[in-house]
Amino acid sequence: MSAHAELDLSRIDVPRVGILGAVQSVLDVVNNVLAVASALAIAAAGLVLTWEVVGRYFLDIASDWQDELSTFLLIGATFASASWTQARRGHVGIDALSMVLPPSVDRIRRRLADLAACVFCAYFSWKCWNLLTEAWVDDQTTPSAWGAPLWVPYSCMTFGMALLAFQQALQVLAPRKDAV
Amino acid sequence: MTTLQLGLLYAGSTVAALFSGIPIAFALGGVATVFMMIFMPAASVDTIAQNVYEELASITLLTIPLFILKGAAIGKSRAGKDLYDALHTWLGRVPGGLGVAVVLACGLFAAMAGSSPATCSAIGSSGIPEMRRRGYSPGFAAGLVAAGGTLGILLPPSIVLILYAVASEQSLGRLFLAGLGPGLLLVALFASYAVFQWRREFKHAQSVAYGGGAHSPILADEHFTMAERMVALPRVLPFLLLLTGVMVALYGGIATPSETAGLGAVMALVLVGIVYRAYKLADLRPIFEGTIGESGMLLMIIGMSLLYSYVMSYLHISQSAAEAIVGLHLSKWLLLTAILLLVVMLGFFLPPVSIILMTAPIILPPLRAAGFDLIWFGVVMAVVMEMGLIHPPVGLNLFVINRIAPDIGLGPVIRGTIPFVLLMAVGVVILSLVPGIAMWLPNAVYK
Repeated sequence: MSAHAELDLSRIDVPRVGILGAVQSVLDVVNNVLAVASALAIAAAGLVLTWEVVGRYFLDIASDWQDELSTFLLIGATFASASWTQARRGHVGIDALSMVLPPSVDRIRRRLADLAACVFCAYFSWKCWNLLTEAWVDDQTTPSAWGAPLWVPYSCMTFGMALLAFQQALQVLAPRKDAV
Repeated sequence: MTTLQLGLLYAGSTVAALFSGIPIAFALGGVATVFMMIFMPAASVDTIAQNVYEELASITLLTIPLFILKGAAIGKSRAGKDLYDALHTWLGRVPGGLGVAVVLACGLFAAMAGSSPATCSAIGSSGIPEMRRRGYSPGFAAGLVAAGGTLGILLPPSIVLILYAVASEQSLGRLFLAGLGPGLLLVALFASYAVFQWRREFKHAQSVAYGGGAHSPILADEHFTMAERMVALPRVLPFLLLLTGVMVALYGGIATPSETAGLGAVMALVLVGIVYRAYKLADLRPIFEGTIGESGMLLMIIGMSLLYSYVMSYLHISQSAAEAIVGLHLSKWLLLTAILLLVVMLGFFLPPVSIILMTAPIILPPLRAAGFDLIWFGVVMAVVMEMGLIHPPVGLNLFVINRIAPDIGLGPVIRGTIPFVLLMAVGVVILSLVPGIAMWLPNAVYK
């Protein structure tokens, strides 16, 4: 299932001119790098889990790190690619009101919705930052024998959500006539 | 404030946030966070990030990106067309065989790719033009593919069933097995309708031809030689082996569901690389772009939906709502009907992931109290949500079909899907009368 998952390319509206356009260009580079890293993380998680089966079933090697590592990789991929997905308007919402509201009112509605999402993501990012600093200072690890450091996934969440909020802010600030 | 007032405020705020156009994930997360700030102890809001992390750090949930990668690898290749072509050559002599081949190809492809839109797109892009070339009416051809595509959320590895397993704390292995019988039931219903409708269109074309009108291509006799049939097989066999290999790994005790997801994704990439030589960056790029876009969006919704459910539970909204439903003392089947109608209505606006995670804490306790098996209900709920994929206003498959065959128009596509919505309703009734269709296999395997 991938209900409502198709990207609507007609709705891509990042700024492309002026200072905002320049900032967006830099952010595009960061987004693309993180998208590649996310793709590699998902592929790596697949390989790790495949190795878990091969190691246990054919080579008789028992280990306990694969599930946690693949969890870290997949959570990292989810948050690291959040801004890239947002730039393509891939985080889906209900757009039913656009069919009933006059275009001028609908533009304001869209802008306010973007602003609300941006405020939430910035706040969430701040809470992730608190979690990250706590995990770093207290040297927190997962409870397993492997004991992986928790600052790793928390840092992906923090920076992923911060970038997402930044991308949303650019989309809120982008003048519609300049948006592409 | 009473729990009832709080619940109404929570529901009202959610509807307002969702309809404002805020992306679903952030609307749910935002509403949950505001309610935490106002109605929960001050320290609780400090835990939102940890809550989301702990909910997402579930190895069952994290099978989703890997199943999506497997689906994207197969969906972006020519596997769909090859599968449909092969089935067409083997079913050429069956009345309406082309339509039956499309339904079977959709079922098999959905089981390999696990995605409804990907199934519609892969089978429809070659199947719809071919059916129209052979004289099938456009609405019938489009409806067949749109409905066949919905099998993706019922047949394993359905992401909807994975989420339901997490939300209802049921065994994923049992749910996957329980989806097979109803999946085959729907394949049989759709294929029967394909034969029935083909006969109607054939007879109509015959009467037109006898009356001196145009000779429709639907009247043409088709025949494939054994050599043509055998030639079609080699490209399809590796993917059928992947399909069975994944099932054997899962149910043969070789791999856990998460390992199966990883193994399936890697095997799909390797197969696509070998069979279609899709190993260059240009080939891999759309596969991975599709995967990170879809899985990132879905996991963000899932993480925030779980935060939303946590707040609902902390404030006793879900428990009170569940108790109120139980207190209505509805008859077993009236309760089921009311809940399924609610799911249908939510399906007008929300994707299945949100419906499951938002409603599970409220609807599952009354269903359990009424004596329903939650594995069975999960499958029935999936069938009902399949309807949401092909009925207006937001039936995703309708729009996928409209994109790959824009000249048909949305109206004929919608009219073409109506018989299939009715067939799914018939399927739900049959599953209610004969629950063994869903439960026989999991009960036999997990004794």
